[in-house]
Parts: sequence; structure tokens; C-alpha cells
Amino acid sequence: MNPLLRRLRADLFATPADGALSLGLIALITAAAVGLVQWATQRAQWAVIQANSTLFAVGRYPADQQWRLWLLTALLTAATGVTWGLLRCHPRADRDGTLWPRNDLVVLALLAAVAFWLPWVLQLTPALQSRWWLLAALLAATRWLAGRFGSQLSRPVLRLFPLVWPLIYLTGMVLISGGLGLMPVSPSQWGGLLLTLLTSSFAILLCFPLGVLLALGRRSDLPLLRWISVIYIEFIRGAPLITLLFLGQNILGFLLPGGLAPDRIWRAAWVLTFFAAAYLAEAVRSGLASVPNGQIEAARSLGLSYPQTLVRVVLPQALRVALPAMVGQFISLLQDTTLLSLIGLLELLGVARTVMANPAFLGHSAEVYLTLALVFWSCCAALGLGSRALEKRLDPQTLSRSSSQP
Amino acid sequence: MTSSPNNLVIEARGVQKWYPNGYHALRGVDLSVHRGEVVVVMGPSGSGKSTFIRTFNALEGSIRIDDISLGNDLRQIDAIRREVGMVFQQFNLFPHLTVLDNLVLAPTLVRGRSRTEVQAQALSLLDRVGIKEQAQKFPGQLSGGQQQRVAIARALCMEPRILLFDEPTSSLDPEMVREVLDVMRQLAQEDITMVVVTHEVKFAEQVAHRVVLMAEGNVVEEAPPAQFFKNPKHERTRRFLDQIL
Repeated sequence: MNPLLRRLRADLFATPADGALSLGLIALITAAAVGLVQWATQRAQWAVIQANSTLFAVGRYPADQQWRLWLLTALLTAATGVTWGLLRCHPRADRDGTLWPRNDLVVLALLAAVAFWLPWVLQLTPALQSRWWLLAALLAATRWLAGRFGSQLSRPVLRLFPLVWPLIYLTGMVLISGGLGLMPVSPSQWGGLLLTLLTSSFAILLCFPLGVLLALGRRSDLPLLRWISVIYIEFIRGAPLITLLFLGQNILGFLLPGGLAPDRIWRAAWVLTFFAAAYLAEAVRSGLASVPNGQIEAARSLGLSYPQTLVRVVLPQALRVALPAMVGQFISLLQDTTLLSLIGLLELLGVARTVMANPAFLGHSAEVYLTLALVFWSCCAALGLGSRALEKRLDPQTLSRSSSQP
Repeated sequence: MTSSPNNLVIEARGVQKWYPNGYHALRGVDLSVHRGEVVVVMGPSGSGKSTFIRTFNALEGSIRIDDISLGNDLRQIDAIRREVGMVFQQFNLFPHLTVLDNLVLAPTLVRGRSRTEVQAQALSLLDRVGIKEQAQKFPGQLSGGQQQRVAIARALCMEPRILLFDEPTSSLDPEMVREVLDVMRQLAQEDITMVVVTHEVKFAEQVAHRVVLMAEGNVVEEAPPAQFFKNPKHERTRRFLDQIL
């Protein structure tokens, strides 16, 4: 018998009960899939997405200034390509040094397919379509260039390269909001995916250091610091995010020094940050608890000071353990941004609600929600994939396995 | 062994230790260790021997090392710890760093020495304990005996004035005990000052200058190994030796 058939038989039809169950499930899945495809291709009216694709992407960002967002996307694409290539051409613990592993080719092919297919189904103008193609080409080109010539870069250059990311983030802030000679675009004009990604990335970046500090505070020997951390964490974890968001719109203006919370969007972003930090602190705390006391004793007996012990010995081990829980936190933070629509901000869900309220598109909420779900799913899947790769890379088991190869 | 004061490396006088739960672990322990001396501390479990040597680098309690005295002034702790190397029962290597980086971390960070210089020293130390070829591996890939030898090299890399061993062979498989004891023997021949808490009688007989018996938080007997094992003065020592020999 064919090995594939044999394996199928062993996996699905080992006993009569297994077989019945398998057949039932297969029938169910097929029916659901056929139904979905029929609905998506025949009954669904995708015009609601096609007509509003710009609105979903950037909200009411002024059309004559959108080139700034394209520039930012291009910068991000190039940085991604270069980072990706550099990671591959410098063989490390979890890599065997092949420049183009099969997974990379699959991912690149997938991205290219999306870059061609998406603008086509969205019926974008040829000018916009070609921009997406150019972005895909840019990614492939930078990936290839960095992989090909990355090994010739000197060590200091490689060490400084990660700084490109915070730089791009700051540049992105300027590009989005204006200033430094660019026409200012007020936050009330930001929206859609742009606003979702902006608030969630802002909150993820800031809640990380805040969460680590809170976790350390909770384990501190200083009673005052410990109590402040405990009260903060327990208060935040005991309150629903939506109440905090409403509260933030009202009181954050008084709490933060003037100018830091000038706008409703930034107030909401700060609330998200403070909220996520409390949960992150608990994830980090579990990581800290997993580091044996002997590690601290060993570091202290070598003369390392407490801060040195923390940074060089405890945190590297604790954060690796806490990584899956932290990424889970980041993923739910990304999804929590949908609550911003309830305080009147036009992020993805907010835009979707205004679109569905438009009489021209009445009765097409299924199409809109399905699209939204797909967008969120791809963002979360990207986060999850990245975290799994990082986890694998930091795992001492992986480190030892690959470096033991001759 | 002369007893001139500048030859004294450790002078412990009346060390008391209460654990936070109220347990009185050390009840006025006295001990002096001279430069180049090897002192073995023995005793039943719970006698306070590990607690006692941990006072030497202020992981517990207080002490005086060389010219640095540590009373109640906690600011001296880091100064003391730099001069006292410690080898633990559980090795306590840093699992996220390579063997070489385990050695290089403290000298560069604490003493501010250059990385290339420390690396050369670390490699020669690893050579001395017989595991130079494992320098780029991670601790998890090594056997227990190899890990403990790395831990000894890591302590030596800080060039301490005294090396403390807290039951260094107790968590090793029997066939790995010897490779660790061999390294310690070699160190003793190089006149490195050592205080060793161990149950290895043979090691104590061959290497120690003095053997100390602790029981119930006190030093019961302190004698050269020949006298300690053949002709102990105290009844408590005799009972202890009866149990382990």
C-alpha cells in the first residue's frame, strides 16, 4: 500500500470508532468550507471593502500627504529585508548558515503573492498597484543584498545596525504627525490600520520596560517600592480596560505633566501602555521566579553588584522564560485596541463601524467583519511566528544542540 | 605555618548567625586561615559548616578577610566578594553564557579588565583544569564533573585571595568525583589558600593542613589530618568518624 495511504489509515481510521469520528469531522469541515467559499465568491459583495480600502488602511489621512506613509512603509520594508538577510548570512546557534532556507523561500513567495493578489482584488488604481509590487520587489532585493554582502560588514556596523529600528520608529512618528518642515497632520485624522498599529506598537514598546520595572519592584526588598508595585498591578488587573479607557479620557490630562497627553489618541495609547504593563509585570515575575537562587549567589560571589547581577545574569534567563507569556500579552494588547472604537477613535473597528453605517453599504457587515478578522489574524500570526523564532533562538537546548555539531 | 598577622587570610572571631526563622545556626565560631593553607571543614549535616564558609563572602553574616574587615558595615561586602572565590555544590554556572563567557563575565565587569586579556587568561585556566576544548560550549552540554571544573576556573579567573568550596563533589556522579578532586589537589600544590567543606576523607587526609569538625554551630575540634583521623581528642569527633568511616 502507498505509505501516504497507510499513514492516513493509521492516523484517521485505526478503529471503527476512529473512522466514524474522522468521517463525521471531514464531512463537517468540508460543508463549512464549501459554504464559506460559495458565500465569498457568489453572494458576498466585496465592493464595501474595495470602495473603502484607503479608509480601512489610514482613515482620513489627507490624500496629498499619503506619500509620507508610503515612504514609511518602504523604509520598514527595506529594514525588514536587510535584517532578515543579515540574520541569515551570519550563522548562529539556531541556523545552519544556509542563505536561503526553504522556509524563507516559502515566506517570500507568499508575500509576493499577497502583494500581487491584494491590490488586484481591491481593484486599486494601477499607480497604487505598482507601488505594492515595488514594495515586494524592495523586500526581495534588500533580503538578497543583505544575505549576499552582509558577511563583509565589519563587527561595529553589525552591532549598531539594530539601532536602525528605533530610528525608523522615530522617523515614522515625524512622517505621520508632521513637523520638521512637513505639514502637520493632526491625530484626529489618523485612522484605520495605521492607528491600530501605531497605538499597539507604542503600547508594546513602552509597556515592556515598565512591566519589567514593576516586576522587579514587586520582588524588591524595599517595602514602599514593593507595596506601590503590588497596589498598581492589582488595581489595574482588577479593572476592565474599557473603564480605564473612559477614565483615561477624563483624568489622564491631570495625571501626566502637560503636553504629554494632549490628544485623545495619545491618552488612549498611554492607558493601553499602563494596562498592559501590569499584566506584563506578572509574566516577568513568573520568569524571575524561575531563576534559581544559586545563580544570584554565584554572580554575587564573583563580585558582581546587584544591578550587574540583574542585567547580566537574572534578566536574560527570566525574560526567556517569560517570553511566550509576554508575547501572548502583546497579542491581546493588539486586539484590545479595538476597544478604542468605543471611545470614539477611528481605528480598524471604528472605521468599520462608520463604513457599515453608510446607507450605501447596508447589510454587508459580514464582509467587513471577515476582512477585519483576517487583518487582525495576520498581525497576530506575525507576532506569534516572530516570538517562536526568538524563543527557539534563545533556548539553551537549541544553542547546545547546534554548537555541538563539528 | 607562621602566624604573623599579614599571613592571616581569614580571621573569624565569635561568628554568630541567626536565620530569620530564629534558628541559631552559628554559635560563636572561631577560625583562622593562613596564606597557602588548605583547611577542610567536616561535620554532620545541619552542623552549620556551609553556613559558616558562606559568612566568608558575606552571603551570610560577617567576617574579616585579609586587610578588609567586614563588621556591620555592609559597604565592604562587594570588596570582600571580589577577593573570595566560591565553588558551589550545584556548580551554578550561568546557563545562558558559553563556558568562556562564564569565566570572562566577572573580571571584565567587576575589575574592568580588557576582554582580550581576560580571554587569554580564561583559556589558560580552562587548559589547567583540562577542558580548554569545551570553551565555546554551553554549560548544559558538559558533564557534572566538567561543569564543576569550569566553576573552579571561573572562581580562579577573578584571582581571589582565597577559594571556598561548598561540598564541591556532593552532587556529582561517583565516577566524576575524582577529576574534580584532582584539580583541587593541583591547586593545593600551587599554594592557593582554600577552605573546603567536604565529606571526602581521603582528600582531607592527603591535602589538608588542618581539619575542622563542626557540630551544632560550634567548632568542636581543629587538628592536623593525621591527628584528626587517627587520634581525635573529642568524643564528638570520634562519633562522627565512626559514622562516616
